[in-house]
Amino acid sequence: MKLLVIEDDQATADHLRRNLTDNGHTVVLAANGKHGLTHAAASAYDAMIIDRMLPELDGLSVVKRLRATANHTPILILTTMDGLDDRVEGLEAGADDYLVKPFAMPELLARLNALARRPPVNTVQTSLRVGDVNLDLLKREVRRAGQPLDLQPQEFKLLEYLMRSDGRIVTKAMLLEHVWGFHFDPQTTVVETHMSRLRAKLDKGYDRAMIVTQRGVGYRLVA
Amino acid sequence: MSPNAVWVTALWRNSRLFKTASFRLAVLCAALFSIILAALLFFNYFATSQALEDQMRARVKDDFTTFSEEVDSEGSDAVIKEITERIAKPVTFGSYFYVADESGSRIVGNIDQVPIVPGWQKLSAVNANKSNTERGHEVWGQGKIFPGGFFIFVGQDAHHVLAEQRGLVQSYLWSGILAGLMSLLAGLVLSRSFLRRIDDINKTSLAIMQGNLKERVPIRSSSDEIDKLSANLNQLFDSNQALLESLKQVSTNIAHDLRTPLTRLRHRLEEAKVKGKTVKALRGEIDSSITESDQLLATFAALLRIAQIESGSRKKAFARVNLSELGERVFGIFQAVAEDEGKKLQADVTPDVYCDGDGELLLQALVNLVENAIRHTPNGSTIALRIKAPAIIEVADSGPGIPTEQRDKVLERFHRLDHSRSTPGNGLGLALVSAIASLHDTKVELTDNGPGLRASLALQPA
Repeated sequence: MKLLVIEDDQATADHLRRNLTDNGHTVVLAANGKHGLTHAAASAYDAMIIDRMLPELDGLSVVKRLRATANHTPILILTTMDGLDDRVEGLEAGADDYLVKPFAMPELLARLNALARRPPVNTVQTSLRVGDVNLDLLKREVRRAGQPLDLQPQEFKLLEYLMRSDGRIVTKAMLLEHVWGFHFDPQTTVVETHMSRLRAKLDKGYDRAMIVTQRGVGYRLVA
Repeated sequence: MSPNAVWVTALWRNSRLFKTASFRLAVLCAALFSIILAALLFFNYFATSQALEDQMRARVKDDFTTFSEEVDSEGSDAVIKEITERIAKPVTFGSYFYVADESGSRIVGNIDQVPIVPGWQKLSAVNANKSNTERGHEVWGQGKIFPGGFFIFVGQDAHHVLAEQRGLVQSYLWSGILAGLMSLLAGLVLSRSFLRRIDDINKTSLAIMQGNLKERVPIRSSSDEIDKLSANLNQLFDSNQALLESLKQVSTNIAHDLRTPLTRLRHRLEEAKVKGKTVKALRGEIDSSITESDQLLATFAALLRIAQIESGSRKKAFARVNLSELGERVFGIFQAVAEDEGKKLQADVTPDVYCDGDGELLLQALVNLVENAIRHTPNGSTIALRIKAPAIIEVADSGPGIPTEQRDKVLERFHRLDHSRSTPGNGLGLALVSAIASLHDTKVELTDNGPGLRASLALQPA
């Protein structure tokens, strides 16, 4: 992917550039909001990573200006820990996702992947299909190889999110946010519990497991 | 400068009395009082003088009526005769007469000269030819010109009126001075007592600023404005003391709680340096170190989140929150989690319970309470999640509970029942719930569930 990173902290910017490049992305760096806007206007990017606190022009203003010029490039905002309202403000300004600094690189990569391949907003899907699993969104039914699976509502939501992720890695934080609406770290094994239950129903009796754990990163549904 | 002036200046400089608002008010009151008093006395003086003069007029009028009738009936000679007789009699003391002919020259009289004009006259420094009135007199009286130019003046000595007036002025002056001084004195006494109480407040705040946090303003039983101010200040000082103490406690706790994982992290890195012979072994140590630092960061994030919630900025985003839906959702998510931990989570949710608040934070509060119950109860325990009308969130468990004296403490940051800090968790869960409760103008009520703990939050129904 071709990425624009607007980050004023040199250490963070270098860290981002190195890791993103190592993962096969092309990175353009901008050290302040104004330069960022110039870069964003000059060429097209697959996604942008914008720091919330920037000199000259702050991150939120950059996002607002981009959206005002009908630039719909997916944007991920980086915020500091103490900004409780940052997420809401960031999303309201037009960003697509946010990540709190300091972050783990796999988390950023997973979120970037999810952002860049976000499906068009206005398509209405009534069913999802990955491999031999079929999920009917209207009837709330799931079948694997034609056999109905008896899923609890939480397991259904979890599977739906995994299927929509289209084989990409989803992190624990992404699952908590999108499946359960938790914008905080629970102190219990919420994700693991529901994942193991879903696994037991989805993969039991089949020689090939669809849910794959990426150690230290997250989960992936493979066809 | 004269010694007196020096003394006055010194008094002025040294005494804050003269600079106080209460003293200025006392002076103002005294001045106002004096003005009112002066107006009253002036009116009184005027009325008294008028009354005395009216008495004189009445007496003169009586005489005049007699003379006028005599002039009409018996002619002017009879009157001249009568007046001459009256003047000669010693009983006419205080009465003055003057009769003049048409040419204006005196015919008879005990006054040297009277202007030949009709009407009421006040003659000052009259030279009277009476033996008992040596000094110049003031004579007030009535003059009348009869047809043909005949003139009669009948007057009375006004000295008693004047003496009365002088007496009034003198007594008024003295009582005025006395009243002014007394009201000033009263003002001073009042302002002194007022000042002393303000002084108490000043001394107390100074002592607190210097670090003596336990100092409080003394309160009298009069429950006046100063007492109310003192009581309010004392409350402020109480919360200030509590805040400072909790800050101290929190700082100490943070230091303790962060030192342990930091030490562990350091040990891991040291060991990795010494023992990490293979790439695989090094990776393992590094992974563990990352996990350790992630936990530290999570603790920091939780601390910052509590501080953010306490700042109250989220209050502006309050909206109607469906607590029933929230309860069902949390129950749906955690029923399986509790089951995996060997505990039973039950839900008792009253439908359509709404409150005014921050949905995201209330979700976290409920999740924290449920997770707390799951983590701190033994196997086989039952946990009840209840949403009750009008707007109450309640989580009750059948675990060991919390001793009464510890219940307030567990809501503080990093406070744990287990002092070894060996149980997992950062010790911030309940502190966060408490902060969320405060944001919603309520408190986390921890009560005995007999057995176990019952935690409830009574929110504002909406």
